[in-house]
Amino acid sequence: MLLQLNNIFKWVNSGGQRIFLLKDINLQVQEGEFISIMGPSGSGKSTLLNVIGMLDAFDEGEYHFLDESVHALKEKHRANLYKEYIGFVFQSYHLLDELTVQENLEMPLLYKKYKGAERKAMVADMLDRFNIVGKKDLFPAQLSGGQQQLVGVARALIASPKLILADEPTGNLNSQQSEEIMELFKKLNQEDGVTIIQVTHSEKNAAYGSRTINLLDGRKI
Amino acid sequence: MYKLFLKIATRYLLKNKLYSFINIFGLAIGIASFVLIMLYINYEQSYDKFEGSENVYRVYMDYLEGDAFVAGDAQTYNLTGPSLKKEFPEVLDYVRLFYFEKMTFQLGERILEQPLGSLADPSYFDIFNYPLLKGEKEKVLSQPYSIVLSQSFAQKLFGTEDPMQKTIAAFRDGEKAILTVTGVMADMPKTAHYRNSYLISYETEKTWTEYGPRAHELNWNANNYYTFLKLDPNANASLLRQKIMDSDIEEDKEEQHNIEPLEDIHLYSDKPYEVSANGSVTRIKFLMAIAFIILILSWLNYVNLSATKSMERAKEAGIRKVSGAQKSQLIIQSLIESVLLNFIAISISMILVAALLPLYNSITGKELSVGVTDITAFTPYFLFILLGMILAGLYPALLLSSYSPVKALKGKIQTSSQGIAIRKGLIVTQFLATIVLLIGTIVVTKQINFLESQPIGTNVNQVIALKGEVITTKADSLVINDFKVLEAELQRLPFVENVAIAQTYPGDSFDNLSSTRGLILPDGREEDEKIFYTYHVQPDYFDLMDIDFLAGGTFLPSSDWEGNQVIVNETFLKNMGISSAEEVLNQSLGFWGNSDWRIAGVIKDYYHFGLKSPMLPMVIRYQSDVNNLLVKLNPQAASVAGFESSIAQIKSEWTKIFPKSTFNYTFLDQKFEAQYAEDKAFGSAFQVFTVLAILIASLGLFGLTSYTVVQRKKEIGIRKVNGATIPQVLGLLNKDFVKWVGVAFIIAVPISWYVMNQWLEGFAYRTNLSWWVFALAGLTALFIALLTVSWQSFQAAIANPVDSLRNE
Repeated sequence: MLLQLNNIFKWVNSGGQRIFLLKDINLQVQEGEFISIMGPSGSGKSTLLNVIGMLDAFDEGEYHFLDESVHALKEKHRANLYKEYIGFVFQSYHLLDELTVQENLEMPLLYKKYKGAERKAMVADMLDRFNIVGKKDLFPAQLSGGQQQLVGVARALIASPKLILADEPTGNLNSQQSEEIMELFKKLNQEDGVTIIQVTHSEKNAAYGSRTINLLDGRKI
Repeated sequence: MYKLFLKIATRYLLKNKLYSFINIFGLAIGIASFVLIMLYINYEQSYDKFEGSENVYRVYMDYLEGDAFVAGDAQTYNLTGPSLKKEFPEVLDYVRLFYFEKMTFQLGERILEQPLGSLADPSYFDIFNYPLLKGEKEKVLSQPYSIVLSQSFAQKLFGTEDPMQKTIAAFRDGEKAILTVTGVMADMPKTAHYRNSYLISYETEKTWTEYGPRAHELNWNANNYYTFLKLDPNANASLLRQKIMDSDIEEDKEEQHNIEPLEDIHLYSDKPYEVSANGSVTRIKFLMAIAFIILILSWLNYVNLSATKSMERAKEAGIRKVSGAQKSQLIIQSLIESVLLNFIAISISMILVAALLPLYNSITGKELSVGVTDITAFTPYFLFILLGMILAGLYPALLLSSYSPVKALKGKIQTSSQGIAIRKGLIVTQFLATIVLLIGTIVVTKQINFLESQPIGTNVNQVIALKGEVITTKADSLVINDFKVLEAELQRLPFVENVAIAQTYPGDSFDNLSSTRGLILPDGREEDEKIFYTYHVQPDYFDLMDIDFLAGGTFLPSSDWEGNQVIVNETFLKNMGISSAEEVLNQSLGFWGNSDWRIAGVIKDYYHFGLKSPMLPMVIRYQSDVNNLLVKLNPQAASVAGFESSIAQIKSEWTKIFPKSTFNYTFLDQKFEAQYAEDKAFGSAFQVFTVLAILIASLGLFGLTSYTVVQRKKEIGIRKVNGATIPQVLGLLNKDFVKWVGVAFIIAVPISWYVMNQWLEGFAYRTNLSWWVFALAGLTALFIALLTVSWQSFQAAIANPVDSLRNE
């Protein structure tokens, strides 16, 4: 078991009313799964992803990640937990504009205190694996959207996380680029055993996963 | 990791050129201004410092009327030093100095004038611990007719030859002395208030001139000497000061001896008969305030801009956070950026300082250089800059690292109301500083204009004073006759309007006036307490100087009273309680042991020393003694074109009559103006730094507006789509700035009113703080603010709303 959500509630108070963003969510994720979260706009997909990613807090319920009880952890420990085990992929890639491809890949390693030589090897390995060696000295603005997302995925993977969280990873891409990224996810999941949870609007993309969770108004249906 | 941080920071700065430029340039100007001002202040504070200088005190005197202070006097009697040493064991030693503004020396056929020298007691080098290059410090001044030369004066006289034991002739009031060089001292630092280029042994005085023996005799009559004391290091100086004030060494209750630290003279002392014009601690305080204001302004700029900019960088911080960055790492990175930026700014500011130093020196009239300055004295300022740098970098760093990554990645970061309040506060502070400086500049300029435009009761324009040492063996009376001939010859020149002989003239050094007390007034009253000042001239002086008579007229050479005639001024009569000028005409006045001086006339008050000092009570005597030949030129001759040839002709007349002599001349108006030189320099400095401060503030405002406009782009678009006109949009954007200037103005007025009043207190005659000064400063600030923001507001206002709305 990689993670387990038990009766998760998240709400905001607005005008004296309690508006639920997540309502009684129960979820178990095994290592090696590829899960797609679907639902209309405002159904709580991204919120759920953020809660799983520990970027967002929740108001009620229990969250176990590996052996840790996330709900009982202090903010700082929670942050350390996600930094160690989770990689993020975003719809708008979120690469750092001032850094080259190579440096963008290196960035997360810096924060994890890898040695210089080690970092170089890991970055080189990743460039190789994703077939972007030729692009290593380019800046994000010089790449196509698909290439940027490729770098985004590579960056999420570089520190070998146990879990990749992807928030509409193909939302800004055309269909061909989308397909390439989804194929990549599939390959990562099947060949490397990486656990993936993605949020998506597209049935086609969801089909790449092994399991789909549907949300409506913060509830699992 | 740090290398990468540095790389990112560099790329970021290069990418955001406007932002980087504003930030770096603003900081560089701020730091450069700070350093320049501190160089000046440091220089001013470094006067009279040498090993042991802290134990050296100068004796001065206060003239009292009853218990009330009338005037000070930097000079003392020749008995002052010996008496104090005898009376107080804390006084280890004393040195008396008699100052020569200029002296004529003769070496073989060479005649040259040398400024700055003194008669000095043998103890000089024991008290003033200046290095002696040749000779022994106990012996160099022990024998009469000894002279110690400064290194450069020795070089001027003897070149590379060894000057020791060589002889030179010196002339004092036309009387020659043969002096033997007994020592060579290092040139005195510019930062000595009493600089000497030669020292003649004190004992020489006794036999040098005709009046020598009388002057040399220990007495309480003539206070022409500067006395410096060396105190026991363990002595309690303030206690000693009180003891000296209470003591009655002189047995004259109306004069009180007092002491002050040598090191304090330059900045704190401004007495009559100072050996050189001193600095002013008020000016130092003002400049220091300006320095800090400018530096803080540039930091506020930095903080404000980076904080605004940090919103733009929230996304980046978010990415870093989800990529595993710790909060502390983000703070460090942000700080590295700020250090880099500051480092570039400091480098540029150093270049600016080096480039601007010559110009700055010409404004301040000092010879400042980075090398001369004692670096250790600068340490606190460096630490201050460093601290400010870190603090200024910390706010944006903390701000940036505090953003929640989820919000940051969604671009939902908005300035908190607290952040907005801080930023508004920063802008108001900037405006506040700007307005205060503007008011300061206007007041300083107004005061200087006031001083210069005030009628001074005399006309110093187109008047030159000829002075030269005549080397002759003729008797005094014959020399005076020669001068009469010269006067007549000069009078004949077509471009000369008038010629007169005078001991001194308006704007000349204080040393040429004698302060005196002890009077018998026309009504027989004896007046012992009130002080007056006296000098002597010849009859044409008043006409030439355009000094008007209230009653009577100038001296009559054919009068029965001849040399016993005097002319007094209004203030003299007022001080002596005489109401009618007419009444005192031809009445007698008694002083200096002569009970029958006759008052030939009463002149209207004129300012002998400009408006910086109060009006002096004057008694002007008629004496045929030659010091200065005043020549009034007609306007053509005084013009630049005619000037050279006029001077050449005057000089040729002079040398015809005095072939063996030196010749030099001074323009009275220039010398008179020179009294305001320091104030003018201060005014210019104030203006320059105010402009810089405004520039920094405007840069910040400009940068800030560009962001507000970007932030409100959508709002502007929506308003325009709904029918807002361009002026309405402009008004919307500019309204806030008007409000901030208003708030700053309200705070600035009382502060600057108080501060500038303090400054004006230092002048005997001062302009008033009119309401328009404040209004002008406020409107200027408003105008500059609106000008700065309007261009960008206008761009935003005329933009097609479709563009901004589509972006969303």
